[in-house]
Amino acid sequence: MTDTAVPTLPQPVRESDRGSDAGRDAPGTALLVTLTERSADLPAVDPGRVAAAALRGRSAKADYAELRGLAMESAAALIAEDPQYSRLAARLLAEEIREEAAGQGATCFAASVAVGHREGLIGDTTAAFVAAHADTLDAVVDPHGDDRFEYFGLRTVYSRYLLRHPITRQVIETPQQFMLRVACGLEVGGDAKSVAEVAELYRLMSRLEYLPSSPTLFNSGTRHPQMSSCYLLDSPLDELDSIYSRYAQIARLSKHAGGIGLSYSRVRSRGSLIRGTNGQSNGIVPFLRTLDASVAAVNQGGRRKGAACVYLETWHADIEEFLELRDNTGEEARRTHNLNLAHWIPDEFMRRVDADTEWSLFSPGDVPELVDLWGAEFDAAYVKAEQAGKAVRTIPARTLYARMMRTLAQTGNGWMTFKDASNRAANQTALPGRTVHSSNLCTEILEVTDDSETAVCNLGSVNLGAFVDGHGEIDWERLDATVRTAVTFLDRVIDINFYPTPEAGTSNSRWRPVGLGMMGLQDVFFKLRLEFDSAEAKAVSTKISERIMLAAYETSCELAERLGRHEAYAETRAARGQLHIDHFAVTTEWPERWEALRARVAETGLRNALLLAVAPTATIASIAGVYECIEPQVSNLFKRETLSGEFLQVNPYLVADLKKLGLWNAITREELREGNGSAQEITDLPEEYKRLYRTAWELPQRALIDLAAARMPYLDQSQSLNLFMAAPTIGKLSSMYAYAWKVGLKTTYYLRSRPATRIARAATTATAQVVTEADAVACSLENPESCEACQ
Amino acid sequence: MTATDSTAKKKNILDPGFELTLRPMRYPDFYEHYRNAIKNTWTVEEVDLHSDVADLAKLSEGERHMIGRLVAFFATGDSIVSNNLVLTLYKHINSPEARLYLSRQLFEEAVHVQFYLTLLDTYLPDPEDRAAAFDAVESIPSIREKAQFCFRWMDSVEKIDALESKEDRRRFLLNLICFAACIEGLFFYGAFAYVYWFRSRGLLHGLATGTNWVFRDESMHMDFAFRVVDTVRAEEPDLFDEELGKRVTAMLEEAVEAELQFARDLCGEGLPGMNTESMRQYLECVADQRLARLGLPIRYGSENPFAFMELQNVQELTNFFERRVSAYQIAVEGSVSFDDDF
Repeated sequence: MTDTAVPTLPQPVRESDRGSDAGRDAPGTALLVTLTERSADLPAVDPGRVAAAALRGRSAKADYAELRGLAMESAAALIAEDPQYSRLAARLLAEEIREEAAGQGATCFAASVAVGHREGLIGDTTAAFVAAHADTLDAVVDPHGDDRFEYFGLRTVYSRYLLRHPITRQVIETPQQFMLRVACGLEVGGDAKSVAEVAELYRLMSRLEYLPSSPTLFNSGTRHPQMSSCYLLDSPLDELDSIYSRYAQIARLSKHAGGIGLSYSRVRSRGSLIRGTNGQSNGIVPFLRTLDASVAAVNQGGRRKGAACVYLETWHADIEEFLELRDNTGEEARRTHNLNLAHWIPDEFMRRVDADTEWSLFSPGDVPELVDLWGAEFDAAYVKAEQAGKAVRTIPARTLYARMMRTLAQTGNGWMTFKDASNRAANQTALPGRTVHSSNLCTEILEVTDDSETAVCNLGSVNLGAFVDGHGEIDWERLDATVRTAVTFLDRVIDINFYPTPEAGTSNSRWRPVGLGMMGLQDVFFKLRLEFDSAEAKAVSTKISERIMLAAYETSCELAERLGRHEAYAETRAARGQLHIDHFAVTTEWPERWEALRARVAETGLRNALLLAVAPTATIASIAGVYECIEPQVSNLFKRETLSGEFLQVNPYLVADLKKLGLWNAITREELREGNGSAQEITDLPEEYKRLYRTAWELPQRALIDLAAARMPYLDQSQSLNLFMAAPTIGKLSSMYAYAWKVGLKTTYYLRSRPATRIARAATTATAQVVTEADAVACSLENPESCEACQ
Repeated sequence: MTATDSTAKKKNILDPGFELTLRPMRYPDFYEHYRNAIKNTWTVEEVDLHSDVADLAKLSEGERHMIGRLVAFFATGDSIVSNNLVLTLYKHINSPEARLYLSRQLFEEAVHVQFYLTLLDTYLPDPEDRAAAFDAVESIPSIREKAQFCFRWMDSVEKIDALESKEDRRRFLLNLICFAACIEGLFFYGAFAYVYWFRSRGLLHGLATGTNWVFRDESMHMDFAFRVVDTVRAEEPDLFDEELGKRVTAMLEEAVEAELQFARDLCGEGLPGMNTESMRQYLECVADQRLARLGLPIRYGSENPFAFMELQNVQELTNFFERRVSAYQIAVEGSVSFDDDF
């Protein structure tokens, strides 16, 4: 046992004191030199401090590579102190990646593709194209491209996206080579013109101005180029064979990295008669259990877990059991922990909630027509079925609605999506019997499905922040040009894509839908200094959406002119002269352009039935280092947990402002931390900054919904709209979702809430109660920024 | 409530007995703890250990040794805490509000035991390896030493049926502080650091997910225990004298040493980013925090060397494709309305 003597100096004898002096050994010296060089243009970075931390953590057999790895982690750990450390960490990682790739033979772009082809990863067409234009393409690679990454983005690219050698598991491409490979996978024609096109797409990606969605990044140019993000399947028919064949379809789609949206509204509810055996059905829950297991079993190409969302119409008699599927208590046999759940809600239900009347629940076998109807026809059929006494049972609409709200609060799941709003403005529902039966995994895709057509969508997102110029203006022309390139290449995916099931291939060639979205709206607001809930922010946001829609539709006309309209064009509302905005009462910003577009559509038709959808962009926004899609920031300081570990992010806009105000110091950082990433508790921070830097938890959710409603006319599909409530109550939630429905949103996504209690600070250095003078001097020399005793 | 006869009847929290009255409530804070704890309910089935099995195959020899020892410690750690809770804490903390919380804590400890049991069954498919892990309290010296530290502080109060004397109550306080500050607050925090070290390298996410939730629970257990200590000190100020402070400090030093010899066993020559020296600094820093919470002078003045532990208290934003979000509440109140503010 240790004695209890005086706790002050001297320090106890250290067990591995050997590493404390960087000058004493060669790897340590080399490290310090590297760090100093790499941070020459980063004035806030202290290379000595990073080196010291790395040396402290090293193992007995540490070589230079281990030290650099530790230095990278040490730098990453300091990002919360100054965002410039992110650049240093990213540079160290880029260096490591380049060495790793070169070790596998990827010394230039053409070599990287050749290695990939040799190892059976890269497809023949792409390999041949690259070989034929090797020198030109090598010259396209931007040698400074990697320096645009923040650490978190580069880390994500490295651990998730770069192709790896099948045996050694080392990467065989650098981040820039990866982006050019993705672009080359979308090449058509094989000639010099296509090299120029590919170079243009690569340029957008390398500058992080536009990124295709993850499946395209994963698979473009490979032997199985499955590049679509989303698949929407109609409900299985109310029979065993159909139910089981859906499992197989879903497994195939999931294997190739697609997210699944699936309706289950046609399958009979519990207690219904099974004629073949004269028994009674157990309803949908046991079948969803099997789906749950199947989804967990098939992970997406071994890279991320399979994921599916099941949609159920609100009149289905199993709705209450459906609501319990994600509960973490109760009978495990009736739980599905891997499935996401969404409600496909007819307006009639919301009206009855509003009027506080009864709601009837049916088994689909008794009312098979309801699934394919929407709007007035649905309302009439529903009332008729009630009058015919077909209901299994009747409950107060508000009781069910309250139950839905509770599930949202408890699990974040049970997303509210609106069947009638989704169908009413849909371009594909011009003909009777064409129905959107569900949205997708992330509630931004709305496309018709039936038993023989699985809807498919491939996505990409424009990084909006990149279009704010130095004068606080949006560069509209450059945005147009980016959208043109993006749509052209999204359209190409349809032809090059590998379709895991025939149902998916059929649908995609008929409708050719794509989903161009956006990310970094919050970055735009920060750059323009607009509060998220201000009228100006709403105006800018709406204007951006309008402009993107205009440019996307113009491009689709252009493509139709060159390559032909999509097969089912005659069946669309557009062919009847009705554009998406006609369903909304809006005053457009650029009326002449709309008129010109209308005339052009009438003449040439469209190459794509649908063009726009705002996806969550979780991963690609982190690659680009911007805020997700249209979302407000969740915190000024937060930790991201991903498959590749944990990373800290701090709002760089806030840090820049705090530095200007002379407030960026240890006290402020502690206040940010103690405030859970809120800027509201920062002492001396002027009110205008506090308002600008409010988080999603501090903003009125009404504003998020209003912004979403204002952009709705300019999204022919939908948007992944998360809503945030720190401490949800049934009253608040029911008001909020009723409002979302009233203003005409087609879909909403997760309800985000916060943990009830916080984890204790794991290891904050205890407030020093006795600080001797010697202590204070020592630590201020070694550690001028972080020592609390010195502040 | 009036001050007249309540002062006459007023009892202290460590007075022997089994108080039943919840109204008027004397310790509403403990009742709030109980209610908050319920909101953090989680079940073992929610933790997906699937990817861990693949990770285990990738580990180096040193890492495998580390995780083997760690799992062996987990196998019995929470059971020891449960036993002490039932045998000592529940018996002597004479407040029905606090006993509600302790009942809840007991459930949480059971979930933790179940989690680590499931973990062990998953990590160690061979029945003999499993049996050996549960035998670690006896057979692995570095774990035995920690267990004996715990048992010593359990034995010290086991024979006391009622806390009649001041010395009885001091011995009880030491037991309470030992379990909060040294066992849950230091041994477990040491174990968490290894887990998060693995995670910081992209390994063993299932273990890390479960540990997140265990961590959240343990944070509350510790907070509760310290508030009981605060209450006792407020009610009986002379109990926690200088002498007791010294005994607490010595106990923490002993705990740091016990955990450090465990660290020597786990780390061996050291792994990248994890070695005995860093662990020492970390443990000293944690121990200082416990002392500071108890209003005692800090002993070491060490800084936390583990950046990945700093991250532990920052808000999570999990990408749902990757892992289940662990932040949802359980109890939701209210009824349907259309004009609430949102």
